Amino acid sequence: MGEDLCSEYDVIVIGTGMTESIIAAAASRIGKRVLHLDRNDYYGGMWATFSFDALQRWLKECHNQDQKNITNFKNKTYISQDEILISCGSQSSVSNIDEQWFIPKNVPVNASENSFSKNEKNDFWDQEKIKNLSRKFNLDLAPKLLFSRGSLVDLLISSNIARYAEFRSVSRILTWYNGQLETVPCSRADVFSTKDVSVMEKRLLMKMLQLCAEYKPNGNEFKNFEKKTFADYLKSKELTENIVHYILYAIAMSSINTPCMTGVERTQKFLSSLGRFGNTPFLWPLYGSGELPQCFCRLCAVFGGVYHLKRTADSLVVLKTDMKSICKGIVSNDQFLSTHHLILNVSEAPSSFLQETFNEGLSRGIFITNRSIYSSEKESLTLLQFPYGIKNKPITVIEIGSSTHACPDGLYIIHMTCKQNTNATEDLKPAVEKLLEIEQIDLDPSHSASSGISGFAYDYEIYSGAIDMTNKENQEVKSVRPQVLWALYFNCLETSQCDLSVNVPSNIYLTSGPDADIDFEFAVKQAKEIFKKMYPNEEFLPRAPDPEELLLDDEEIISGDNNSSLTSTE
Amino acid sequence: MSNFSNDVLTTLKILIIGESSVGKSSLLMRFIHDRFEDDLGLTIGVDFKTKTVVIDGNSVKLAIWDTAGQERFRTLTPSYYRDAQGAILVYDVSSRVSFVKLELWLNELEMYSNRKGIIMMIVGNKIDKDKREVSREEGIQFAKKYKSLFIETSAKTKDGVEYAFDELVQKIIETPALWENTRYRQTQQLTDDNITDNQSSCLC
Ligand SMILES: Nc1nc2c(ncn2[C@@H]2O[C@H](COP(=O)(O)OP(=O)(O)O)[C@@H](O)[C@H]2O)c(=O)[nH]1
Ligand SMILES: [Mg+2]
Repeated sequence: MGEDLCSEYDVIVIGTGMTESIIAAAASRIGKRVLHLDRNDYYGGMWATFSFDALQRWLKECHNQDQKNITNFKNKTYISQDEILISCGSQSSVSNIDEQWFIPKNVPVNASENSFSKNEKNDFWDQEKIKNLSRKFNLDLAPKLLFSRGSLVDLLISSNIARYAEFRSVSRILTWYNGQLETVPCSRADVFSTKDVSVMEKRLLMKMLQLCAEYKPNGNEFKNFEKKTFADYLKSKELTENIVHYILYAIAMSSINTPCMTGVERTQKFLSSLGRFGNTPFLWPLYGSGELPQCFCRLCAVFGGVYHLKRTADSLVVLKTDMKSICKGIVSNDQFLSTHHLILNVSEAPSSFLQETFNEGLSRGIFITNRSIYSSEKESLTLLQFPYGIKNKPITVIEIGSSTHACPDGLYIIHMTCKQNTNATEDLKPAVEKLLEIEQIDLDPSHSASSGISGFAYDYEIYSGAIDMTNKENQEVKSVRPQVLWALYFNCLETSQCDLSVNVPSNIYLTSGPDADIDFEFAVKQAKEIFKKMYPNEEFLPRAPDPEELLLDDEEIISGDNNSSLTSTE
Repeated sequence: MSNFSNDVLTTLKILIIGESSVGKSSLLMRFIHDRFEDDLGLTIGVDFKTKTVVIDGNSVKLAIWDTAGQERFRTLTPSYYRDAQGAILVYDVSSRVSFVKLELWLNELEMYSNRKGIIMMIVGNKIDKDKREVSREEGIQFAKKYKSLFIETSAKTKDGVEYAFDELVQKIIETPALWENTRYRQTQQLTDDNITDNQSSCLC
């Protein structure tokens, strides 16, 4: 095992997800001795971002998880009379895994050469080729965006952790309206430049958004709608149908059941984040959401936090008195490690800590496609709230291209997320069917012979992305749905609504995994709350000093650029 | 000397990796502050250091990243390696183990570095010590095998330290593919005051 760990800590953190990593950084930053462990050999837990190969390994591990037997330590040497040992759990939080390929294992060389000599052979995507490009993929288990004026952006800047990350702003917001995709005008510039909306409607839209933006709790505007839905309110305003749709689904990211004031608040949040970076309210972390926990871990380490992956708590040592119980430390690899506070991701918690069985979940889909859901001249980074999921619950769709380092050139990654109803494959079907082409591409020579070469060519055209743009009207190109080359569906737990402190010793804090929201607000909030409980009088992530001079401080900004790194103003 | 030209040609990210206590932080301290401490302890707060050097009349800004102790249990984050143009791989000439383990660090670098053709400098440190377990020849052979630059140093006596960094930077600059597009790459630092002001922050 090599070097041994020091055995006394102020805070032991188990799990390197977003919430745990923020807490670890915050504790280390104020001089606490932090030990940060993760049972996996990668950072991030359910927030991780993987290469294609690494994702395959993750899938394999998920399949094997059931067989994992929890070692029950009966060894009493660690504990004294009043103390008890509690075995840690390893809740399997992933289910309904469904991985599908839509392209052949490998394209027979003669097929590509003979039939399509005019095309480059590398226009063919086959499984082998995708696998060979494994490292060009950064596939998120929990893709999330940052509101430009949200709490994470503020925290990154105020703590100076922003220097570890780079961002790209979401370049467009789409909606699904009248059976097709449309761009939602969301900045002032957008509103005036859009052609989908009449001048009259533009005025209505602007006026409406202004009302929401200016809303104060004591105002009159929303008086009669406090018990009604946001949709009711919008309908009362004599707006055109498409304007109601834009505001309700795309800007307020709501549904027909969303209460009025919730809708107003969300609209405000959206509007207040406009115009800070780029022309939508959202930022995407370059290389994927899994970068962000790592940024906080880095800060923790810089301030002396100790890191050990592939290591976790096998059991907890808990002192029980009449009134309460207190955690004294953990047993890890046969070593007792004492701590004042223990942060435990809920998936690691002993089952006796969990009052309820979790029944909330997320349905996730990841798709590799050959084109954008809505092609445009420049590569876009797209957010779409697909309004018509199961039971009218929206499905969040994020599409990213190669410029975000999410995938190789010529391919797109489409993420879908919604609350779990049955299983991911079923839950996401409404959006998948409308947005994507999920026909199996069969390059078996015998098939193409029977269907005739033209049918084959059609298939080829769709999945190679080799459509000749010049031959078609723009409009037509837009309507070609992307062919899915590979798809992965899974469900995971969503514990953000659960009370995680009921049966837990007073110095143990359970943290949730990724929540259903589009942003990181929940993780930041939970981290802050836990930190405040541990250290009520300490500052939460005060600004970390710069090295002698600010890195890249005089690097110029190229205007019109979508990429942004966050650096604080002095 | 660094004020010779205000125009910074490029900013380079350089990593220092290798086993614990081979002298990585000491090399960084020596290079940046020309200082040496007998016991750096677990250097807290060392994140990365910057320094501007002049290569062929051009200013080049270096951002040299320390491991922040995350090398101890080989838990460097993949994002640590991200976008680096150069890597300094350090072993301790008085510790064979540290030399043998260098292979693992090379693997990790190869696994996570996302820039093609990252320049490597293998450094055998602590040559001031009487005890030696790795000969210079062995070091050279090893570096050859991995097409890496090589130098022996002492952070304590200053021997070779300047050379290690200069040589690495020189080689990077001679390989424009590694840095040329970074200036125009779409990943720029954007400061809080560089808010796009052509759009109002709200629609009112
Ligand atoms: N004799 C000698 N000791 C060194 C040299 N470089 C570093 N050390 C010592 O080796 C120990 C570990 O150095 P440090 O820089 O912290 O190693 P790191 O863990 O790789 O960052 C410290 O006690 C240093 O003083 C050197 O060139 N010669
Ligand atoms: Mg060090």
